[in-house]
Amino acid sequence: MPTQLQIFPSIHIPLPRDAIYRRLGYREGTTKIDARKREEIDRHIDYATSLISLKGAGLRVPLRDVTPHRVVFGTGAEIESDKLARFLKGCTEALLIGATAGGAVMDAIRGDTEGGDMTRGVVVDAAASEMTDAALDWIIGLFNRLLTREQARLTKGRFSAGYGDFLLEKQRMVYDLLELHRIGIKINENFILIPDKSVTAVAGIQG
Amino acid sequence: MSLKDRIKERIIILDGATGTELQKKGMPAGACPEIWCLENPGIIGAVHSSYRDAGADIVTTATFGANRVKLSQYGTHDVARVNRDLALLARSAVGAGVLVGGDIGPTGRFVRPFGDLDFEDAVEIYKEQVRGLLEGGVDLFLIETMIDIQETRAALIAVKELTDTFTSVTMTYEAHGRTLNGTDPVTALITLQSLGADAVGCNCSTGPEEMLGLIEAMKPWATIPLVAKPNAGMPELIDGATLFTMREDTFASFGAQFVSKGANLLGGCCGTTPEYIRRLKEAVAGGRSIPPARDSISAVSSARSSVILEGRRALSIVGERINPTGKKPLQEELLEGRMSLVRTMAKEQERMGASLLDVNVGMPGIDQKKSMLEAIGSLSVASDLPLVIDSSDSNVIEAALRLYPGRALINSISGEREKTERLLPVAAKYGAMFILLPLTEGNVPETAEERKKIIEAVFAKAAALGFAKADIVVDGLVMAASSDSKAPMETLKTVEWISDVFKANTIIGLSNVSFGLPERPSLNAAFLAMAVSKGLTMAIANPGVEEVMNSSVAADLLEGRDRDAAAYIRYFSRRPPEAKGKRVPSHEVPADPVFQAVLDGNRDDIESVLSRALEAGGDARKIVDGSMVPAITKVGMLFDRREYFLPQLIASAEAMKKGIAYLEPWLGDAGPAKRQKGRIVIATVKGDVHDIGKNIVTLMLRNQGFEVTDLGKDVPAGTIIQEAARIKPSVIALSALMTTTMVNMREVVELAGQQSLDCQFMVGGAVVTKAYADSIGAHYAKDGVEAVRVAEKLTLGKDSDRDLSS
Repeated sequence: MPTQLQIFPSIHIPLPRDAIYRRLGYREGTTKIDARKREEIDRHIDYATSLISLKGAGLRVPLRDVTPHRVVFGTGAEIESDKLARFLKGCTEALLIGATAGGAVMDAIRGDTEGGDMTRGVVVDAAASEMTDAALDWIIGLFNRLLTREQARLTKGRFSAGYGDFLLEKQRMVYDLLELHRIGIKINENFILIPDKSVTAVAGIQG
Repeated sequence: MSLKDRIKERIIILDGATGTELQKKGMPAGACPEIWCLENPGIIGAVHSSYRDAGADIVTTATFGANRVKLSQYGTHDVARVNRDLALLARSAVGAGVLVGGDIGPTGRFVRPFGDLDFEDAVEIYKEQVRGLLEGGVDLFLIETMIDIQETRAALIAVKELTDTFTSVTMTYEAHGRTLNGTDPVTALITLQSLGADAVGCNCSTGPEEMLGLIEAMKPWATIPLVAKPNAGMPELIDGATLFTMREDTFASFGAQFVSKGANLLGGCCGTTPEYIRRLKEAVAGGRSIPPARDSISAVSSARSSVILEGRRALSIVGERINPTGKKPLQEELLEGRMSLVRTMAKEQERMGASLLDVNVGMPGIDQKKSMLEAIGSLSVASDLPLVIDSSDSNVIEAALRLYPGRALINSISGEREKTERLLPVAAKYGAMFILLPLTEGNVPETAEERKKIIEAVFAKAAALGFAKADIVVDGLVMAASSDSKAPMETLKTVEWISDVFKANTIIGLSNVSFGLPERPSLNAAFLAMAVSKGLTMAIANPGVEEVMNSSVAADLLEGRDRDAAAYIRYFSRRPPEAKGKRVPSHEVPADPVFQAVLDGNRDDIESVLSRALEAGGDARKIVDGSMVPAITKVGMLFDRREYFLPQLIASAEAMKKGIAYLEPWLGDAGPAKRQKGRIVIATVKGDVHDIGKNIVTLMLRNQGFEVTDLGKDVPAGTIIQEAARIKPSVIALSALMTTTMVNMREVVELAGQQSLDCQFMVGGAVVTKAYADSIGAHYAKDGVEAVRVAEKLTLGKDSDRDLSS
C-alpha cells in the first residue's frame, strides 16, 4: 500500500453535545439546570460550532522494526519508547493522525476569558476540546473503514506524544510527517501545537 | 429484456467480494489490485466466472480503484486503458447472458465543500474512468462503497453526462446508521434518486442483519429499486488477522428478509465468496421483487438530513435571514468574502426551529455566483438543514445546484419565459424541487383565478420535462395588506385551491402581508394561522420572531397536524420562562433578589437588582457581605456536590464580579481594596499555553476578595520569582495542563527557596495531583472552588483582612 498523506480540510462530525456537557462537569441525575441556563449553554455550543473548523491529516507509515524499546518507521524515523513499542507490537504499519479545531475558535475563547464572557468561554473551550477529539475519532473511523477492504484494522485506542515515555519532543516528527502546517497548525519550541485545540496521535494497523 | 424490466420481475443477484478472492489466489499485500489483475488475467477471469457459475446476474469489473487518484499512487496513469481492458476481461470471462457492471469506487479524497478536491476535478476524474469502462462495453455502472455524498454526486453526474446507462449507487454506513460524513440512508436516497440514479442502496457497511434496517428505512421513500450488498458479518480480529466469520448459510438466510424489506438487487461485499452468492440466490429464488412504492416524492435534502414535505405534516419554516437586503453587517461580510455571519445566522435559525434555510446573496457590487457558491459550501458544512437557493439570476441557480450536496429547492421559477425555458431543464437535470411563482412578464395577478391559470401553464411545461406535482411547491403570492385589503384573502384562496384541488405543496413569503404596517409580528402570526387552515405547507419567515413560531405550532395543533399535541407541548416546555413571556408575579419575587441573582448567575439583571436594593435603602457593604458572599459560597457548595457544573459556577462568579464592580462607588472606604484577604500571584508555567483554568481560578479568587496579580501563560520561573519578590504575595498559584510542563512547577518552588521568598505555593491543572504537589512542597487545589478554600487557609492569620491598599 503506498503511503500517501491524506489531508482532511473539513471534517464534519455529529455535535457531541452530551460529551461537552460531561466535560463541563454535568452529571446526569445530580446536576440541576433550569431551562434558561440550558438554553444559554446550548446557544454557546452553537456559537462554538459556528467558529470551529475541524481539519485533520492521516498518514499510513510502514513499521520497519519494533523492538521492546524502540519503534523504527519505514521513513527511517525512530521513537524510543517502551510503551509505544508495546502498543505497536505485532503491527506492520502505523497510522499517524492529527486534528485541529482551528484558530478562530481560540481567538474567541481568548477574547471571552480575558474580559469578555467567561461563561461562554469555558463552554466554547469544552466544545472545541470535545470536537477535536471527535475529529480524531472520525479519522480513525475512516481508516478503519478503508482497512476493512484489506482485512485489516486499527488498534483499539491511540497513543500521543507527551504520554509516558513517548516524549513530547517527538511531536515534532509527527508534525513534520503529517505536514500539519497545511491545516494551519504550528509547533513551538516546546513542541506544543498551536492553536492549542490541536492534537496528534499514533495508532497501529493490525491484521 | 432491459435490466429495469428484469428487476420488476425478480430479485437480481450481484456478485460478491473481489479483493479477498484475489488475496486468496495470491495477490500480494500492497499490490495495486487493478494492475495485478491485468498482469494475471487468468486469475481475475476465474473469479468472474466463478461468480457467474454461482448464479450472479451481474459481475463487477475489477476497477474499484481504477481512477486517476488511486492509480497514480502506483505510478499508473493510463486510466482509460486500465478500465477498458478490465471491462473487456470481465466480459470475456463471463460471456453472454451475464451483465458486466463497471465498478467505480471512491478516490480516497473528499470533495469540496467537505474536502480539498475541486468538484469539477472530481467529475472529470470519474468521467475518465467512465469513458474507459464504456469502451470496454460495460452494461451498467456500480458506484459503490461511497462515504462522501458530494463525491458520490460527482461520480453520478460523470456517468449521467456521458451516458444513460443504468447506474446503481451504494454508500457505506457505519454501525450508527450514517456514513462517516453523517449522511443517513434516506437523505442519500432522496439526493441520489433525484439526481438520476437508477438504483440506490448500501454496500460494505455492516453485516446483513444491521443492513436490513437501512433498506427498510429507505423503501417508503424510494422511487427506484434498492440495492443491498452486505459484508459477511462484522470483521473480527482473530490471532492478529481480521476475518469475516459469518457462514455462508447464515448470510444467505437474510436473503428473504431483504426481499421483504424491499431490496431489489442483492449481492455481497467484504468476506463473501461465490459460495455465499450461490446460497443467497437459492434463498431468494422465486421471491417477488417489491416495486418502488411511489413515482415521485416531495422532499429536499442537505448532505446530512432531509425534509419530507408530504402528508399532514407540521408547517415547515424556511428561515429567511440569510439575505443581505437591509442587513448592513451581512452586506459587509459578503463583500469581503467572509461567511462567519452566514454560518451564525444559519445556526440561530436552526436553533429557533427553521426546517430549511433560504440563501440569497444578491446585492449591488457582489459577484453573486461566487458568493452563492461560497455560502453553499460554508452552510453545507455548518448546518444540517436543506437549502433553498434564492436568486433572480438563472446562472447563479444553475451553478448552485451543481455544487449543492443535496436536493435543493429553487426559489423560484415563475411563468416568465426566460425562467421556464432556462431554469426548468436545469432543475430537471439536477433533480431539484422548485417554488412555482405565479407571475408572468410584467404581470402580478391580483386574483386567485388569474394565478391558477399561470400555475397550470407553468406546471404543464414542467411536466413535459418529467416533473410531478410532488416536485414543486407553489407560492400563494402574498401582497401587502396595507396596499390592498383584499389581497390577503386572494392569497388564502390561492393556497386553498393549490392544496385541495391542484394537490401540491404551498408556500408563502409571510412578512410581505404586513409591509408598511405597525406591529408586524402580530399580523404575520395571524395570517400564518389562517394560511395553515387553508392547507399551507411551508412559510418563508424569520424563525426568531416568537409570535410567528408560536402561531406556527399552535396552528399545526389546531389543524390536526400535531398528533397528541406532542410538538406543541415539547416546543413550549423547552422555551425558557422569559421566552414564554412569563413574568415573575410579585408573590414569586425571591426573598433576597441579590442573593438569587448571584445564585442564578444572572449577569444580565444583577445591576438592576442591585440598583433596586440600593433604592430601597440597602447598604452596599451589607449587600455584599449579607447577600453576595453567602450566595457565591452556596454556589461553591452546590458545585462541590455536582448540583452545579462549571458554566453555572462561572456564571455566578461573573454575576458577582459585575455586581461588585457596580457597587464600588457606594462601597467607599469599605470598597474592594478594604476587602482584600491576601495577595496572590498566579501564572501558567513555562512551556504551557493553556490558561483557561488559571483564568477561572483568578476570577474566583478575586470574587472572594483576594488581590490577584495574573502573570499570564508560558511564564518562565525567573519571571514569576522576580514579580513575587516585588509584590510579596502570600501565595504563588501555578497552573499546568501537561505532564511535560508540570515539572516546571518544581523549578519555581526551588527558585523561590533559593531566594528565600516568604510565601506558600498552590498548584493545580488537569495532570497535577496532590501527590505531585506534596512532592514539591506545594498545596493542591483541584478546581476554582477548592483554590479559594486553600488560599483562605493559607492566608488565614497571615495577611487576611489586613488593609493591603497601601
